[in-house]
Amino acid sequence: MSDLILQLDTIIKNFGAIEALRGISFAVKRGEVVALLGDNGAGKSTLVKIISGGLQPTSGRVMFDGAERHFASPAEAKAAGIETVYQDLSLCTNVDVVANFFMGREIVKRIFGIPILQERAMQAVVETAMANAGTRIPSMRTNVEHLSGGQRQAIELNRFVHWGGKLVLLDEPFAALGVEQTRRGLEMIKRIAGQGIGVVIITHIMAQAFQVADRIVVIRQGQVAGNIERAKTSPDEVVRMITGEGFAQPVPAAGMAGT
Amino acid sequence: MMSSRRRDVIEFLLNNLVWLLLVAVLVVFSLTVPNYFQIGIFANIIEQSTYVGVIAIGLAICIIAGNMDLSVESVAALTAMVVGILFCSRGVGLGYSFSPEWLVVPISLAIALGVGAVIGALNGWLVVGLKMNAFIATLASYIWVRGLVVALSGGRSAQDLAPSLRVIGIQTVLNIPLTAWVAIACFAGFSFVMAKTPFGRHVTMIGGNPVATFRAGIKVDRLVVITFVLAGAIAGLAGWLLAIRSSGATANLGTGMLFNAFAAVVIGGVSLKGGIGRLPGVYAGVLLLSSIHTAINLMGLPAHYTQMILGGLVLAAVLLDTVKLSIRQRLA
Repeated sequence: MSDLILQLDTIIKNFGAIEALRGISFAVKRGEVVALLGDNGAGKSTLVKIISGGLQPTSGRVMFDGAERHFASPAEAKAAGIETVYQDLSLCTNVDVVANFFMGREIVKRIFGIPILQERAMQAVVETAMANAGTRIPSMRTNVEHLSGGQRQAIELNRFVHWGGKLVLLDEPFAALGVEQTRRGLEMIKRIAGQGIGVVIITHIMAQAFQVADRIVVIRQGQVAGNIERAKTSPDEVVRMITGEGFAQPVPAAGMAGT
Repeated sequence: MMSSRRRDVIEFLLNNLVWLLLVAVLVVFSLTVPNYFQIGIFANIIEQSTYVGVIAIGLAICIIAGNMDLSVESVAALTAMVVGILFCSRGVGLGYSFSPEWLVVPISLAIALGVGAVIGALNGWLVVGLKMNAFIATLASYIWVRGLVVALSGGRSAQDLAPSLRVIGIQTVLNIPLTAWVAIACFAGFSFVMAKTPFGRHVTMIGGNPVATFRAGIKVDRLVVITFVLAGAIAGLAGWLLAIRSSGATANLGTGMLFNAFAAVVIGGVSLKGGIGRLPGVYAGVLLLSSIHTAINLMGLPAHYTQMILGGLVLAAVLLDTVKLSIRQRLA
């Protein structure tokens, strides 16, 4: 088993005459957190859609879990173990935590051929999964609409891990969260990576990228402008990669960091 | 932080508020309205709730799934008329009969369910296949199906239903006619399906967030069509019961039932936004309406008071919903 979960090899994507991606290559290891950075319009969203099966590349190869894959739809990518986690779109807030966790995969017992939901068994599974992940939710029977943004995200991520996810894409996961919730969310990401799952986090916030990522990949004008271990770089340098200001050039000390 | 026992108790009370309301109303009427406290009156309330109740089941399932079915009343009228035309011996009735006579019961029931299901499937196709707004598509069905009833009967009525069918409307068990027992059985059955099976769970989740359920691999389109077919078939059952009660059918049979059913669904705690509601609550809503109706009759008030009270109740139910929501938010 290769230690790479995802490998992109010269991915090119054209929309008519427009070159959105001009040969993207990078890889994500199992258990690695990669922060994907880039200015608006750099091609991050296009790239994420290609990884998660929403778009097909014009050319280039996507290697996932040791084999070349061509995902025709998000459902196919999901079945293979790739998922994009959105803030709210993937939860039904009108039902409880257990129902959301088992959405479409309920435990049933057939009595005279009629499938009957096994609520106790399902609740036990959810409680174990949540406890293992260190997520605290007062009651598994609370409707999700009464939970905070951070708790919702925890449900989604734990659900993903529980059902055998291998690579998770987080698109601006903390855009709507408070400081404390964001801190917990970042901790959760580290824990998930600790279970051998690859994490790609798309963010604008430099501080978050540096807090959680093992490696930082910068996309600029459809190309990889930087691919570097977090420990070997600085926010200043990453900002220069994003904006494309001469790499080696010394920059005035003030005012560049902390975008 | 609140203890989980106390939370459970409050949740239980909130979920069953309409039942508490029903009990309160019955107690108040029994104490204040002369002759209200009688077995016969209570049996009558249950019997009155039969037809609106059955229609409300299908309507509620459709609304919980995030849609709407305005056609149920007309579908009930159509199936009543079809049953009337086939199995009545006078008026426009053709008077078909079978050689063991009781065969008319399963055959007429199957026809009623079938006719309802076909209209329901058509509604479902318009909404899912052609992506029409459910309100508009079923409003159209509400109108043209009623038109079809008039066209089929030529405006005349069918009388003298086959005797083996009429037995169901006359025979009582524990003072309650068999037709009302059919309604009670339907409520029990569909309450179970909605609360305890994956089908009910998925329908509720679709009403809450169709995108999320689709992403989770649930066959949203198929399930939505099924809810329309169910609403149609259940309305067909209501039509069958109506034909039995009135021993035939008239072209304007059941007019006004739609809005009573709607009121019951809303009072019963089903949110028109979809995803929220329980069928036992809907039955309590129907019983509540019948109780009030009966009280007004007993007091000898003019019938239009019923409508005013009905309207007020619907508003109160919606207000109550807001109050419940804020209590729940404090619980979480």
